Amino acid sequence: MSELVTIYIDGQPYEVPKGANLVDVAKFYADNGIPVFCYHPKMEPVGMCRMCLVELGTIMRDRDSGEVITGENGEPQVRWFPKLQTACTTTVTDGMVVRTNTDAVIEARDDMIEFLLTSHPLDCPICDKGGECPLQNLTMAHGPGRSVFYWEDKVRLAKHVPLGELIYLDRERCIQCARCTRFQDEIVGDDVLAFHERGRELQIITVSDPPFDTYFSGNTTDICPVGALTTADFRFEARPWELKDIASLDVYGPEGANISLSTRLDRDAGGIVIIKRVMPRQNEAVNEIWISDKTRFGHHHTRAAERLTKPKVRVGDRLVEAEWDHALEVIRKHIKPNVSVGAIAGPTLSNEDLWELRKLAQAVNAGAKLSIYPATMTGGDIIAQVGVGVGTNFKDMGSGTTIVVVASDIEEEAPIWYLRTKVAGDRGAKILVLNARETRLDHYAADSIRYDYGAAVSAVNDLAKHEAVTNAENLVLICGAEGMTLEQHGELMNACANLLVSTGHVGRPNNGLLAVWEGANVQGAFDVGFSTEATAEMMAKVPDLLFIAGCDPIGESAEAAGLSKAKFIVVNSLFDTPTTAVADVVLPSQSFAERDGTFTSGERRVQRFYPAQGVIGQSQTDWRIFASIRNGLNGSAVQRLTAGVFKELAGEIAAYEGLTYPALAVVERQFPDVGGDDLYYGGTAYQNNGGLGVQYPATSEAEGAKPSKFATKGKKTSYKGLTAIPVNRLYDRGYLFKYSDELMQQRIGEPFVVINPADAANIAGGSRVGVTIDGVQYEALAVVSEDAPKGFVLMPKRLTSQPGPFAPAAIETIEVIAEPVGA
Amino acid sequence: MVEERLILLRDKEIPDINNYDVYVKNGGFDALRKCVSDHSPADVIQIVIDSNLRGRGGAGFSTGRKWSFIPKDHPVKYVAVNADESEPGTFKDRQILENNPYQLLEGSLICAYSIQATAIYIYCRGEFWDLAHDLEACIEKLHKENLAGENILGSGWSCPIYVHLGAGAYICGEESAMLSSLQGLLGQPRVRPPFPTQVGGGLYYEPTVVNNVETLANVPWIINNGADAYLAIGTPESPGTKIFCMSGHIQNPGNYEVPLGTTIGDLIELAGGGQNGKKLKALLPSGASGPVLPLTDEVLNAPCTYEALASLGSTLGSASFIFMDEDTDMVWATHRMMEFFKHESCGKCTPCREGTHWLKALMDRVLAGDATESDVERLEVVSIQMAGKSLCALNDFAINPVLSTLKHFRSEYDAYLNGEGAKAASKKPVPAKA
Ligand SMILES: Cc1cc2nc3c(=O)[nH]c(=O)nc-3n(C[C@H](O)[C@H](O)[C@H](O)COP(=O)(O)O)c2cc1C
Ligand code: SF4
Ligand code: SF4
Ligand code: FES
Repeated sequence: MSELVTIYIDGQPYEVPKGANLVDVAKFYADNGIPVFCYHPKMEPVGMCRMCLVELGTIMRDRDSGEVITGENGEPQVRWFPKLQTACTTTVTDGMVVRTNTDAVIEARDDMIEFLLTSHPLDCPICDKGGECPLQNLTMAHGPGRSVFYWEDKVRLAKHVPLGELIYLDRERCIQCARCTRFQDEIVGDDVLAFHERGRELQIITVSDPPFDTYFSGNTTDICPVGALTTADFRFEARPWELKDIASLDVYGPEGANISLSTRLDRDAGGIVIIKRVMPRQNEAVNEIWISDKTRFGHHHTRAAERLTKPKVRVGDRLVEAEWDHALEVIRKHIKPNVSVGAIAGPTLSNEDLWELRKLAQAVNAGAKLSIYPATMTGGDIIAQVGVGVGTNFKDMGSGTTIVVVASDIEEEAPIWYLRTKVAGDRGAKILVLNARETRLDHYAADSIRYDYGAAVSAVNDLAKHEAVTNAENLVLICGAEGMTLEQHGELMNACANLLVSTGHVGRPNNGLLAVWEGANVQGAFDVGFSTEATAEMMAKVPDLLFIAGCDPIGESAEAAGLSKAKFIVVNSLFDTPTTAVADVVLPSQSFAERDGTFTSGERRVQRFYPAQGVIGQSQTDWRIFASIRNGLNGSAVQRLTAGVFKELAGEIAAYEGLTYPALAVVERQFPDVGGDDLYYGGTAYQNNGGLGVQYPATSEAEGAKPSKFATKGKKTSYKGLTAIPVNRLYDRGYLFKYSDELMQQRIGEPFVVINPADAANIAGGSRVGVTIDGVQYEALAVVSEDAPKGFVLMPKRLTSQPGPFAPAAIETIEVIAEPVGA
Repeated sequence: MVEERLILLRDKEIPDINNYDVYVKNGGFDALRKCVSDHSPADVIQIVIDSNLRGRGGAGFSTGRKWSFIPKDHPVKYVAVNADESEPGTFKDRQILENNPYQLLEGSLICAYSIQATAIYIYCRGEFWDLAHDLEACIEKLHKENLAGENILGSGWSCPIYVHLGAGAYICGEESAMLSSLQGLLGQPRVRPPFPTQVGGGLYYEPTVVNNVETLANVPWIINNGADAYLAIGTPESPGTKIFCMSGHIQNPGNYEVPLGTTIGDLIELAGGGQNGKKLKALLPSGASGPVLPLTDEVLNAPCTYEALASLGSTLGSASFIFMDEDTDMVWATHRMMEFFKHESCGKCTPCREGTHWLKALMDRVLAGDATESDVERLEVVSIQMAGKSLCALNDFAINPVLSTLKHFRSEYDAYLNGEGAKAASKKPVPAKA
């Protein structure tokens, strides 16, 4: 730990870390809540609101001897600043003396509150922040309770200013604290908000086109200390005191972002408890207090009108609704001993679901293929060996650490890792970006290394000589799979592991490998024994009996079309999809919001989520569905609780040994302390009451572990002719996000392809083109730009309603269907 | 009668000193040459410390000491010249820029040499459009003469000079706001520490000396004549000459350069006394931002030094002396100043942003004859609520006119409360002669 110094707050001595911020220290060590508005422990202080004024001094010491100078009564002499000082801009030093309870300080707080309220509309009764508003709270705690000012002289400003589609600004309520602008500027790096004008006219504007253009906008509404910024999703929807916050997890990305689902009984939803909003839940090791807008606003699929409410059974060429018993009976009847079996697990199945799916498939046929969809990445076993060490935290990365991101547009694929990598870079960590094309993270990279698609492996091998790698104390590799086949990705993961092992960067915190898995629980699926290789094998040789759960392979991936050839297909789904269309039995499963379970993040942190929303129709948890089928086959027992399933799993899967639900639910006090019951960091939903989760160790962390050898063939692929490179977009029409509400739909955008100018001789940017691959034509808007390397066409996955390629694919033709509008 | 002593306003004696050749013929750039050939950077700083030259931008801080704070071994360092001159009634920097620009540039270069700066930026107020262009022509000349730019006078030290125009904000004269504005950021003061001279606090976060135009224009003379010669002018604590910007109801408004320590009475005499023989009743010694003084005998006999004005309860500031005669409506004048501060508050700090609004709103009431006794009390309450609680000095400037006129001219407020305001309101200050 850092050096400790002694400071005195209201007469009491405290040992605190040298150089820490006085506001943070007073709160954490002295339980003294110096009131703040503009200060936020995640951002640089600006000293704007002047709410944190305190009396500040230092104990006087003799210049020569260094002895403390004492007065007549033997008390140390204190040299006080003549004026009150802002605590938020003060870092603690030895012998600092602070007074927070004198008349001068109390009066100053009164004064600031009174000034702020003279410009504030005081429309708390209709304000979304009311009930969890720092201004409201601090007014009650510190305000004078009266004002000498004239009410008529209040400001009158616009109250519904859309800053883009997601966020509304109420200009009257803004207290000019610059938290929102600093968040965008310092944390995200999209400085799309700014102050305009000056004095009492000082106001927030957005300076980007489209407005407020960022994936993180929702976070500004959490940190805004008043109701000036509200989300289009939640404004006027509920009062904070009616809401019950349930701990949950992001279902979209590999980062394992901790969230709270703020829930309430809702008349409009048929009287069930529903999610009214999604808030970040503080987990300093995972997402701190930030979530992406996809995580925040992408919860509407959980109660979309399209949700399946009853099982369906095939009758001829139609699927007809059936009772559960009947549906299960139909399945049992079709399961003949030792038929070939395949199980396809989507990325949002919980560990418990996966465990029961595995048990079911293996009960039918011990050689069942257990596979993961999407089958774009591999190497779960490699992560289990050389994944980042326990205790890894981006927050601890700074100078001395090198973070390498390879083959990933990480802002689109794992926005929280993007954000934390970027901030680690600001703290001095070296960022290396290896990709065939430029991505947003390149702005923050110490070095951007370009390779040709097909040559990622040798680019990683070459890193061994890179100065940022050879000089690194700590090295983290973040590996994606853009522009490669499953096999190529396997090679790349080996190359990454090899680099880490050969340079000694495994087996300890802030070192090791991270994979940008395409989904929330892909790591869990690997851990429970599923693999993407099995998927590939299955596509080549389709089994007779297929269980598909939590995904829509046939709707999304061109490569999955053959699966429909299976003799009998059981699909667990939230919605009717092209995959359910080929099923023989469709079983309605529950969304993450209706049930409990665990996900394992890309950092191998096993975390719990809890039931929050009322159950839709007759839907069931996936694990219970699988267990019921198994029970019907062989009469084996079914667990009563999800915890029981987890216990069984933890007894069988070595990596999970010793993990229990209570252990995953443990919460420790976190620094900075923003999730507590303080009056000024905004909202109680940050509070983590669901657990911090447990990161299980990689095998390379064991005492005396000898790192395995990872070899690559180092073979390059070169592409001839125009090649389509499927890329990931954060906002897409994937299985769950497709069922977002209107708000998110309008942000997804229409299908497009990016073509290098050299390859676009006859194609004007903005025209509609038809891209033909394997005899299938994909219609899209043509973007002509250097963002696509020459010879390659970037083709976002899951934007069209057609299943598209998930691996590089030769383009047969590109034809112009319509010239640009207005051309 | 006192006489002017012209170190800065040499254009009053030497016509066309804004011409390069004329400037050089009159000893121009001797000081810079002497520094580069005879003095180490540290020597130069020591001479300026010894001269006790104090900043003319308002705060009166020791110029040489400020230069000495710049870390010696830091690779990138800047000089930022404050030519934002926006204080109401201040027009001294303008005369230097217009009529004696090479002396400012020479002073800036000496400063830059002493800290081994990598560049000089001159931040001109937006209205100095023409001046900025003229200045650029002068700078081009210096680059040609090897007095600026690459390898200056063969010393191996390089330092280009750039001019930048502001966009009309008073607050951008505050040094840290000026630096932000230069960087293309919103012109708002920054948290200190780090101070501009420290790593992290200056222009582009590199150590930077910020000095006022008049301050730097003193430097060539000090180098040529030595610290002792400078100390012989003025008083020991406030040595040298100072330009006093005389305006308001004074017979001959304009810039007067006299040794510090000259009495206020003598200055008034020098500028021809009250306009049309009227009796002068009040002085704003540092534009709108310092406390207003009644022209009592004590004040008239006080020497113009940093210390003396402080002991009178005001400040010398930039020495923009605005006079008001016996017919002036002090309430009206105060209202005018409150309009100014409300307009110019950058809005960063709660007390200043809201307080300047309330002071102005309350003055509106007083002026309209709608105020009650309690509104006048409110003026005081608001001022006390603001005092000392903001990031920069504008907040405290803003309360000075209110508190000082309430103290010295309370009867004029009472007249407004008693419904005699309209009569008083007809007596507005006559604009100073152009
Ligand atoms: C509100 C405000 C406005 C100021 N305006 C000016 C200005 O126009 N010109 C100036 O030289 N200094 C101005 N100053 C003072 C500067 O902050 C700074 O002290 C000065 O430029 C330092 O130079 P000096 O040491 O040579 O005086 C202002 C200060 C404040 C607080
Ligand atoms: S909108 Fe909110 S966060 Fe942004 S400056 Fe205003 S009060 Fe602060
Ligand atoms: S005191 Fe006023 S002008 Fe100065 S920084 Fe604060 S708000 Fe801006
Ligand atoms: S000034 Fe310290 S919290 Fe705002």
